[in-house]
Amino acid sequence: MVTQNDFVKSRLSMKRRILIVDDEEINRLMLGNILEDDYEVLLAADGSEALNVAKNEKQRLSLILLDLHMPVMDGYEFFEKVREDEALKDVPVIVLTSEKEAEVRSLKMGAADFIPKPYDIPEVIHTRIDRIIQLYEGRNIITATQFDTLTGLFNREYFCEYSTIFDQYYPEGSKELIALNINRFHVINAVHGREFGDRVLAAIGKTVKEYAGETKGLACRYSADQFYLYLNGEGNGEELYAAINNALNELLGNSDTRVRMGIYKEAEKEADISKRMELALLACNSTKQDPGRHISCYDEKIREKEHYDELLIHDLDKAIAEKQFKVFYQPKYGVQGEKPVLSSAEALIRWVHPELGMISPGKFIPLFENNGLIGKVDRYVWKEAAAQIAQWEKKYGIKIPVSVNVSRVDIMSEDLADELETIVKEAGIETADYYLEVTESAYTDNQADMISLVKGMKDKGFTIEMDDFGTGYSSLNMLNELPFDVLKLDMVFVRNIHKDERALKLVEFIMGIAKYLKVKVVAEGVEYKEQYEILKEMGCDVIQGYYFSKPVCAEDFEAFIKERTESEVQG
Amino acid sequence: MTVEKLKELGADTEQGLMRCGNNQEFYLRLVGMALEQKGYDELEKQIKENRLTEAFEAAHALKGVLANLSLTPIYEPVSEMTEMLRAKQEADYSPLLAKMWEERKRFIE
Repeated sequence: MVTQNDFVKSRLSMKRRILIVDDEEINRLMLGNILEDDYEVLLAADGSEALNVAKNEKQRLSLILLDLHMPVMDGYEFFEKVREDEALKDVPVIVLTSEKEAEVRSLKMGAADFIPKPYDIPEVIHTRIDRIIQLYEGRNIITATQFDTLTGLFNREYFCEYSTIFDQYYPEGSKELIALNINRFHVINAVHGREFGDRVLAAIGKTVKEYAGETKGLACRYSADQFYLYLNGEGNGEELYAAINNALNELLGNSDTRVRMGIYKEAEKEADISKRMELALLACNSTKQDPGRHISCYDEKIREKEHYDELLIHDLDKAIAEKQFKVFYQPKYGVQGEKPVLSSAEALIRWVHPELGMISPGKFIPLFENNGLIGKVDRYVWKEAAAQIAQWEKKYGIKIPVSVNVSRVDIMSEDLADELETIVKEAGIETADYYLEVTESAYTDNQADMISLVKGMKDKGFTIEMDDFGTGYSSLNMLNELPFDVLKLDMVFVRNIHKDERALKLVEFIMGIAKYLKVKVVAEGVEYKEQYEILKEMGCDVIQGYYFSKPVCAEDFEAFIKERTESEVQG
Repeated sequence: MTVEKLKELGADTEQGLMRCGNNQEFYLRLVGMALEQKGYDELEKQIKENRLTEAFEAAHALKGVLANLSLTPIYEPVSEMTEMLRAKQEADYSPLLAKMWEERKRFIE
């Protein structure tokens, strides 16, 4: 394997070309004499001549030795021209000077080094030149690998590497580690194409780079749409956010695609850079829970949540083994008859933790969805619900279908339909009484798999309910391609139906689609009589929500079953 | 012209030779060029016409060459003039110019 060092060494064994720029012939000859055994030496008497020579040589120049005092074009002017030239800007320049002042000025301009006049002993000059060439050649190799090509920011390895150096350079003062990513970036790629997605990333990269430059900081693109910044000072968040928003406005107009940011303040107090990044990212992800928020700082609350989440993950297997999870059932009522009639139920999970007490599903479902553990919870519910349907049928003589949730990770499993069929058969019930809720967003992620999976489940006789309809980002074409039986109207649409004309119109529109597709509509989250009446009037088939009942344990649910059997007897 | 002669005249020949890789022939060739170059005339001309910036440039260039070859006796008045010209001093430069010419003459003869 050729290492970077081997590469530098092998390149150093070839004869380098050095350009000497000095108006005094004697000085040129003298330096040339010192260097000509080891280097190919080119000579120029002034800046303008040197520029011509340099441009003809292009990248084959390894070094420029530059006198500052020259007629026609002096050293400073030449130096500026070289720095502006794409092909020459990386050629190191060593300044030849007899003045301290000029040494400082040229080093500030970006000279690699200086050689004082009168000249030092030849060995010193030689060593200085060799060292600079080696340094710059090595540096150019590093430069080629340390930057992300799309944005010009550091890549992740160098970001971590340089953060240590950064800490040594700026040991004083507070620093912030900022994690930054784009809301629903996959949607941008899906809708506008990858090339456009790259332009969005490049625009963010440019802004981030400028910001880090101004404030003496580092920035990297870590992966796809994940950026990190390590900055001096405090309160960088708002300003950076505004700058990025400006840049995105140019590209996206008034789109609601925005970045979210997590800030880990006083980052210097945590020694491990990857831990700093992790904590900033935790803060960043915490903004997902609050749609109005774009910036979040890592704080005690997030720290507690982190520990809490770790605890839940740790306890999951035990909870399943000890049946700490309880399946609750929320009744659904058919409302198109004279009186609402219990038609089915939705299985909802609760976790009764021995130490933490009742844990809301809002706390563990998103967590387990993110890390894939939700599959274990789903399977637990599937079995419990199937057994429950069988038990009620046996006890009351009627079939109460129950809907269970099929998560996005479940869809990845190829034999899912078979697995579900086995569960249902083992419980001794029929697939038609077992409703499967799949979410629309799963379709957005992977259309082909989703279509074949839904078809497979449908072939086995399961009833398919499209959950969260209208909250994903799929096209209306999804409705055509997925053979589902029931459309579940998300509660966000139902919430304001009795107060807001637009919400009402939207629901009317969705009801129209359902009618056209000849699928049933279930409205979720119905709380008030007004909502119920409007939905009934519109032709909604089934209603679920606090208006009828909150989710209750299996035992309490039996009251609804009894009510139905009694009314059927009376009827 | 020999290295010994230059040393006698006050040149720091060890330093000068060292910068030329201890190549006597090369050193003597450069010394010859340094003595014959037009820098001296240029310096005198600019001073006489009171163009101090240009005079400084000329003095500075000459000084650099003389320093590299360690022709110390000529270098000294030139170096002094360089610093005065850098400070844009409107002084009487003729004694220093005369000293420069005199030393150069000694080296040429």
